[in-house]
Amino acid sequence: MLPKKERLILELLVGEGPMYGLQLVERSDGALKRGTVYVTLGRMESKGLVESEQETPAPGAIGLPRRIYRPTLLGERTLRAWMAFTRELAWGTKS
Amino acid sequence: MGDEIVKPGTRLLRIAPLFFNERFLASVVRPTIADLQSEVAAAGSNRMRRVRARWRGYSAFWMLILVAPFASWSDDQPNGALGGVAVGLAVVTFLTVVTLGAWTAVVPAAGTAVALLIHAWYERHPSDVAMPPGAPWRSPQINFSSTDIAGNIGGLIFVVGSVVIVSVALPLVFWFLLAGAIAACFVAWGLVAWHTRARGRDWTCAGRPPRQLL
Repeated sequence: MLPKKERLILELLVGEGPMYGLQLVERSDGALKRGTVYVTLGRMESKGLVESEQETPAPGAIGLPRRIYRPTLLGERTLRAWMAFTRELAWGTKS
Repeated sequence: MGDEIVKPGTRLLRIAPLFFNERFLASVVRPTIADLQSEVAAAGSNRMRRVRARWRGYSAFWMLILVAPFASWSDDQPNGALGGVAVGLAVVTFLTVVTLGAWTAVVPAAGTAVALLIHAWYERHPSDVAMPPGAPWRSPQINFSSTDIAGNIGGLIFVVGSVVIVSVALPLVFWFLLAGAIAACFVAWGLVAWHTRARGRDWTCAGRPPRQLL
């Protein structure tokens, strides 16, 4: 079972490439919230579905460096398997 | 001026360790504050955009404070049991305040403060009482909301906090609780002396049958 938010994050990361948490929120059309997106990402990271690294701070930047997230091989395979499963399920329901 | 643009969130970073452990800080809190800072910096000198960025960033942080106790790291589903307890507690508190008066709100407030204090203390001083999983005797610690309360400052916070909370709710029992706490100190002193002597004979306590522990 791949929860809806985790599937959405994987779809965005696989489809559009590595992103910051805030970018994920913006591209999700309101499905992901700023206050909880990192909780979901943290859980996915502990499952091995995504990995992250700190951005290289720009010269002169004083604020905290952001984290950039990308899907792992396991994450990509999980998403493909889940999509295949839901397709099969939909096909089985129609026939 | 430029320094002010990239500094929001500094105070939040100072208070966050009071609520969260290092893992949560690294994977959730710092990225949230980094987003706040980068968004405010990106707003440049546009006052409205900066205010909006700050509002969104601070809202995200306080939303985190609210959802963190219910955030599940191991399960796919939200922690329904904890959520249920929280909702039940809120309903009971509301009904108590409505029926008995606003002053009763002090009790849950004091309870929350003590719980936060105990968690904060144990985040910095994890319980170091090593108990093998198959030990034939019970752990002497009190398991309070999944926090092991050992015979240390954490235990003292627990006892004093409990006495204060009950005293606030039932002022008549204050002297009884005080006398009980003093008597308990003597019992504890006796137990410590007894354990110290027993440790001299068998300091690992490995061979002690469970019923001889107390």
